[in-house]
This record gives sequence, C-alpha cells and structure tokens, in this order.
Amino acid sequence: MDEEAITYLLLTCFLALIVVLALPSFGTGIFGLIAMALSLLAIVFIVMLNWADFIIFPMVTSMLGVTFQPARNYKIIKSQDAIVKNVSGLYYATGYVTGNLFPYVFKLESRQEEEDQKMLQAPDTWERAIMNIGFPFKFHVLSSGLDIQNVRDELEGKRSYQEFQLSRAQQGAQANEMAITELRRKISVLQTKIDRISQGEKPIATIMYFETTAVDISEKAAVDRLSAQIKSLQVAFSGMDLQLTKVVGRELYTLFTFNFSLPTQLEELAAYFDRQS
Amino acid sequence: MQIKILVLMAFLGVSAVFIALSAALPGGGVMDVVKLILLAIGLLFDVVAFASRFYTYMLVPAIKQRSNNIVLSDEEPYTISPSADSIMHKDGDTFVATVYVAIPLYRSATEMSDNEKMDFSRQVSRLVGVSRDTVRFTSELYVMNKDAYIQTLKDTINSLENEAVALTNKKGQAKELDRTKGKLSMWHSMLDNIEKAQSLELITYAAISAKGTKEFEAVSIAQQRAREVMSGIGSVFGVTPSVVTGQELLKFIEPEYLIPFSTISEQLSKNIQQVM
Repeated sequence: MDEEAITYLLLTCFLALIVVLALPSFGTGIFGLIAMALSLLAIVFIVMLNWADFIIFPMVTSMLGVTFQPARNYKIIKSQDAIVKNVSGLYYATGYVTGNLFPYVFKLESRQEEEDQKMLQAPDTWERAIMNIGFPFKFHVLSSGLDIQNVRDELEGKRSYQEFQLSRAQQGAQANEMAITELRRKISVLQTKIDRISQGEKPIATIMYFETTAVDISEKAAVDRLSAQIKSLQVAFSGMDLQLTKVVGRELYTLFTFNFSLPTQLEELAAYFDRQS
Repeated sequence: MQIKILVLMAFLGVSAVFIALSAALPGGGVMDVVKLILLAIGLLFDVVAFASRFYTYMLVPAIKQRSNNIVLSDEEPYTISPSADSIMHKDGDTFVATVYVAIPLYRSATEMSDNEKMDFSRQVSRLVGVSRDTVRFTSELYVMNKDAYIQTLKDTINSLENEAVALTNKKGQAKELDRTKGKLSMWHSMLDNIEKAQSLELITYAAISAKGTKEFEAVSIAQQRAREVMSGIGSVFGVTPSVVTGQELLKFIEPEYLIPFSTISEQLSKNIQQVM
C-alpha cells in the first residue's frame, strides 16, 4: 500500500471512527446502535473500495444505470467493461484484457532450462494463437525504463533488511525452519535481481494488455460479440503463461486514453494501475 | 494532483459538517430520525471522499450534471498535427503529441530454426527495453481492406479481356492468346478466392508521446524521441522503421479502421443468411 492510499484510508476512516467514539451524541438506545452500524458500514465500504474498487464501481454504475461519455461519439457502458463508438448506425465495442506475465518472482525461481524452453516455444505459441483468432485485436506492451541506481539501492536495502530478519530468526531459541526457508528464498530472489542488473540488464516497468473490437448493428449485439471475442482471446493465449483478466472501471477509461496520449513519466504511469494489472 | 486533494478536502469537509450537525442537534422523538439521516448523508460523503482517490475524473462532472449519462468530454479526443505525423491531444493547458512508428517485421516461426527462434525471443525482450522513456509496442491484427485490391484485380481482368479480344482478331497470335487466356483464368480464380473469406493482416508498431506547452514543442520532442526509439529498433532487429503519417495513423486509433465497412456488410449478410 502506498502513502497516498494510507493517507486516504486514515482520513476517511478517522471521520467514521469519530462517530463510534462519540456515539451518545448521535442518539441513545436503538438510534445509537443504528448510528454505530452506519459508521462501521462506511468503514467496511471504504476498505472494500481500497482493495476491490473494480468490483464495487461497476456494480454501482450497473445498478444506477450510469454511463459515461469519455469523448465525442464514444460511450462507456454501465457495466464499465466496454467502450462503444457509434459510426453511422454501426456500433464498435472495444474491450481490454490484461495480458501480464506472471509475477517476476516465479520466473526468477524457475530453472534456466525452463526459461530457455519457454523462450524457444514463444514464437510458435504466439503464431499458433494468432492463427486461431479470426477477429481484430491488439497486444500492447507499455514499457518504461527505471533508474538503475535507484532500483539497485532499493533492492540492496530490501536484501539487507531480509538478512537482518534471517539472522534474528536464526538466533532465536526455537528457530522456525519454515520462516528461515522463506527468508532465504526472498534473499535469493533479491540477489538474482541485483545480479541481473550488475550484468547490464536494464530494469523496466511494463504493462501488457490486449484490446479487441467487435462491430454490429446494435449496441447490445456489439457488446455480446465483444464478450465472445474476449473469451476467445483468453482461450487462445492461455498457453502463453499470461495472466488474462478483463479490464473494467477506471482502468478501462485510462487504457482508452492511451490511444491518444501515453503517460510520459513512470510515476504518472504507476498512478493509473495498482490492482487489475 | 492538486485537484485530487481539493476534491478530497471538499468531500471530507461536507461530510464533517453533516456529522457535526447530526451530533449537535438535540435528540428525542423525530429529531433522532433527523440526526440519523444527517449522519447517513455525512458518512456517504465520507465514502465518496475516499472514492475520489480513484474517480476524481468523473465525480466532479457527475455532481455538476446530475444525469445518468455523464459527459466527461464532448470534444474530439485528438487531432492530427499539421505536419500529419503526430496525434495531438490537449490535456488542460498542455499538448501531448504521440508519434507512431511502424516496425517492418515479416518473419514467421515456421521458417525459423531453434536457434533463430531463441534469438528472436531475445530480440523481442531487448526491443521492450530500447528506451528509458515510456514507449508502447503493439502487435495489431486487423481486417485487411480489400476493396482497393479487388478493384485492382478487376481492372487487370478487364485489361486482359480487352487484350484477349484484340489478339483473337489478329492472325498468328495463337500462342500469345493462350498465354493471355491463362493469365485471365489465374486472375479470375484469385478474385474468386479473395472474395470468399476475410483476410487478416498483422502489423507491429511503437507509440511514443511527449508533452509541451505549445503544439510544435510537443511534436518536436515526440519526433526526437521517436528517432531514438527507431534507431534502437533498427539495431535490435536490423530493419528500418518508419514514422506513420496521414490517414495511416487512423488504423492504430479508430475502431472503424480495424474492420472496413465492406467486411461488415459481408458479416451482416452472412448473419441474415444464417437466421433465414
């Protein structure tokens, strides 16, 4: 959780907690209980929004029937999973699917031979997947270079902290083997990352996603066709060790804007994505 | 960022006012219900204050418009720069220019040896890291617009038919006539095959953006960055990338350019036939 999330959580939850602390001022008996329930409900809702806003937001917009117009002729539908463009009576529905490789930590732990095998198979797997797709789609890889020295310093700091934790765990009277193994694993992962940077590899932040468009004579038909296309994409690329999740809510809007302007700084890019990607 | 903080503070302020009002009102009878309603409104604003962390872009228009269709923008999302080589987007007082670079990669895995496949995968990994700036690499599969090609085929067939008629009237041109008829049969069969199914085409490109306070400044920085990325791509793959200009840019941006109109009519008539 970043500083911004903590600030927002503290400020908003604090206000709701004041209600619980000053409960008699809001009513006694049953009214006091309702006031407490309301404030606890608000806290639960805030925490849920922090972790899963991409589930709650489309639920709210679907219930209220709220749609958005991000630009002229475009419309984000109430389920927040497609952007529809109306061109002379034809509806073009565009949807997005994240296509991120599984977290880096697993790659670093896997053996080199397995990695080589994956690299060898990648062109064939990609080509086979494309040949099975009979509709238009785009696969985007958004990359941004990181500051090598900062990344190295950060990794070394993390490694030192884990080493300190390890030495403490080993000194204890009842050393927990499970915890020690876990700490050693973390140190090994950090060390591998540091080694890769030392060997000249550039640290890069990437966001990968698919975009597909379906067309039909009504909005509903186009959105239905789009859903089928997204399912086909998920099936076709499942063999590529990709994490394929349908993008909904604010990230859909962000990815739509990327067609016209990309973020120019890493901080800007990171601010857009935190959950689904 | 400043707007975000302002929105948060505004919602927190409204929430605090409602909660304070609820606490300050005297209790008893109907007033207890009023206090609860005020408290509920206050807490709702508290939740909205948190939601503003993610949804500032839509909260302000939603409150202003109070409609089910919230208009975030009623303007065209982009314009093409006067030099026709960049997409311009206006974000407040800032201009963002985006340049598209086509990467001519026409290699297929079927014609690669194991070593070449490995090299290709490594080249792709290197490609992603060619620049420290934010770059978006895209592989796009789109429906080929065959209208122009079909017209070319029809023109060729017409001219060959004219040639065949002229040769029939001439004596001693039997061999030439046979050759022309052979060509005609070949082009006819090609036309039949092309019209049968839709064809898809794969293209790879990179997009680079830059900001500027003036339009030309943004375009010039974006072009500079694009040149750096192009030289990186060239050194990785040994190909010559090019800046995409004019109408070609729309293929990367507009959904209707992904699927040409002629293909849609074909698709719709197929659907009608299936229903019947």
